[in-house]
Amino acid sequence: MKRRAFIKTTIAAAAASTAFKPFYIRAEAKKYVFGFSQVTVVEPWRVQFNKDMQKEAAKHPELELIIADGQDKTEKQVADVENLIQQGVDVLIISPKESAGLTGVTLKAIDAKIPVIVLDRNVNTDKYTQFIGGDNVAIGRAAGEYAVKLLGGPGNAKGNIVELWGGMGTQPAHDRHDGFAEFTGKESGIKSLLQPIDTDWKQPKGYEVMSTALKSFDKIDLVYGHNDPVAYGAFLACKDAGREKEIKFLGIDALPNEGVTWVCKGELTATFLYATPGAEGVRQGLKIVKGEKVDKKIILPTMAIDKSNCEQILKDNGLA
Amino acid sequence: MMTKLFWGLAVLYGLGIFLSPVNRKGINIFLSPGNQSDVLRQVSNNGIIAVGMTLVILTGGIDLSVGSMMALGCMLCAMLLTLQGWTTASASSIPILALVCLLLCAYLVPLIAINLRRGSRPVEKPSPGVRLFGLILGLVVAGMSVWWTTSQLQSKFTVPGVLITVPAVGLAAGALNGLIISKGRMQPFIVTLAMMVAILGAARLLGGETAAIYPVYTGSNATEKFDILRALVLQVVPVPGIFFLVAVLIFGFVLKFTTFGRYIYAIGGNEQAARLAGIHVDQVKISVYAVSGMLASLAGVLYTAQYRQGKPDAGSGAELDAIAAVVIGGTNLMGGKGSMIGTLVGVLIFGFLSNILLLKNINSNTQFVLKGAIILAAVLLQEGQLGLWWKRLRSSVYPSAYPGRSKEQVSEKVTR
Repeated sequence: MKRRAFIKTTIAAAAASTAFKPFYIRAEAKKYVFGFSQVTVVEPWRVQFNKDMQKEAAKHPELELIIADGQDKTEKQVADVENLIQQGVDVLIISPKESAGLTGVTLKAIDAKIPVIVLDRNVNTDKYTQFIGGDNVAIGRAAGEYAVKLLGGPGNAKGNIVELWGGMGTQPAHDRHDGFAEFTGKESGIKSLLQPIDTDWKQPKGYEVMSTALKSFDKIDLVYGHNDPVAYGAFLACKDAGREKEIKFLGIDALPNEGVTWVCKGELTATFLYATPGAEGVRQGLKIVKGEKVDKKIILPTMAIDKSNCEQILKDNGLA
Repeated sequence: MMTKLFWGLAVLYGLGIFLSPVNRKGINIFLSPGNQSDVLRQVSNNGIIAVGMTLVILTGGIDLSVGSMMALGCMLCAMLLTLQGWTTASASSIPILALVCLLLCAYLVPLIAINLRRGSRPVEKPSPGVRLFGLILGLVVAGMSVWWTTSQLQSKFTVPGVLITVPAVGLAAGALNGLIISKGRMQPFIVTLAMMVAILGAARLLGGETAAIYPVYTGSNATEKFDILRALVLQVVPVPGIFFLVAVLIFGFVLKFTTFGRYIYAIGGNEQAARLAGIHVDQVKISVYAVSGMLASLAGVLYTAQYRQGKPDAGSGAELDAIAAVVIGGTNLMGGKGSMIGTLVGVLIFGFLSNILLLKNINSNTQFVLKGAIILAAVLLQEGQLGLWWKRLRSSVYPSAYPGRSKEQVSEKVTR
């Protein structure tokens, strides 16, 4: 009986493995294999990140891109990277969940003589080959400058501002605040109404905080959301209160199907690009395997997206 | 039962070898020492928690608080290692350590004394002299532990310091679980669920509002010796894996060869009968929950070493992974049936499965579905239900295969 059970299981296993056969044989024609460890794939910005990357990789037929999903867990992401090291990828691209947790495994890859490109958040070592990321302080500055212009220009800007924070425990939120405050803080006519409140970067929380603010303050001129969903949540709250016409909304991130779309619909006034480093990562990786010298650090520029250029961006992404 | 389990692992392992991609040097990646070592390390935290969980489940209970215990252990460890002087971490853990030392000695000494005497029975009471000795010894050890740990405050905690202090806190919290469950006659599910929330809160409180994550960089903000907990022995065997295997050995031995182990099975089999037979059910229960808490917080220490940080969300979901591994390992959730070696196999099945799915670069959403399906299949196989269903199906399609029996008789036999 036991033997029969074993034979049955073996047959089942063999059947299962034939089903997997198409995956089994790796396309040998691909010259380079890049392994990419992503934090999570259920967040809009990360989804765009992966899309940018796959789009760029598809342009290079000699390249195979493996994307591993860390499921927003340090343990899982470390296991992913270890696995990519074992597979012997030519370039390891990693977008770490957090600095401390992923430093060890990054060093492990470097010890295995694999070039490492770190994207978006850095790790606690400088032995990697390259870092590519955005500069949140610069983006905050761009938003601050834009806000001052909207409210009357440098020197005579006037108005009440509601700032909706992202995740209070995260560095990007602090950077986006600091950059913004560099400009708005200098204007004596601009008043910030709210104490910092954590929205965890989420639209529903933006809605809640804003609807409370609407009850407490009669005059609000501008809302600055640390990302587009939060700003959009605030917009929806104002719309439900019938006050969306008197308030301007600024957001950050400018994903084509979120912020840019909302700007085109006239719901947000402007959004500021926090470019995903995906495409650039693939381009730089190809440079590395071809033996070219690359810069240690690349900072991606931002841009303001408002009524004047939003249509073009939607077109470029095939959304209009 | 056991052979079936091992066949499952062997088949999975064979599948791994067969399906694994081959790297450019022609080496099977799945079989490479590096990969095997990675798998052992990746499962060891879950494995250590699963060892404690096995004891708890064998008594017919469940411990949902282990993930939070791990988070607490992880936060405590990181803070003790990186902060000097009296902090929330040291101020809370040192008194608890002293209390644990005191109670352990006061409780263990009379117990050992009884068992040293020839022909003694568990129901016998220790003499007052022995009790007094235990109490005094407890006070001395507690005093020594306080002296030893406070002397480490000036610099920062050493590796033995955290390896003793942190599990002691977990032990105390686990014992509290057991105390409420046994003395309060409460359902383990709801008690440990409440503790899961409360301890997670405690772990977050420890860190304070400003710093959620405490990075541990050995050599710069913590002792360099802490590296030993993530080292590789002989280049391949990871230290956390050794902790896991030793825990399996110790508690496997306890389960199989000691009276205490037999009591655990007895309680899981029939608690009322065990109570009537004179077993101190409450003591055994408190002990198993204490062990579970201790092992979970030990996993927290290893987490800190592995991922170089202490953070309160370290163990989120760990309880479910551990329960799944225990159940895959053939331990009955109702208690009374199962073994430690089964848990070892269950943990390895879990680890190799994740590894194979990763090596195949299978889409992570598909991975979730496949994992769920395979866990279900493994459990069904072990419970023997798949075979029974097959029999029932055959008997309904070919009644002649079971001559002399009506369909009802067959299914009656099957369901019994």
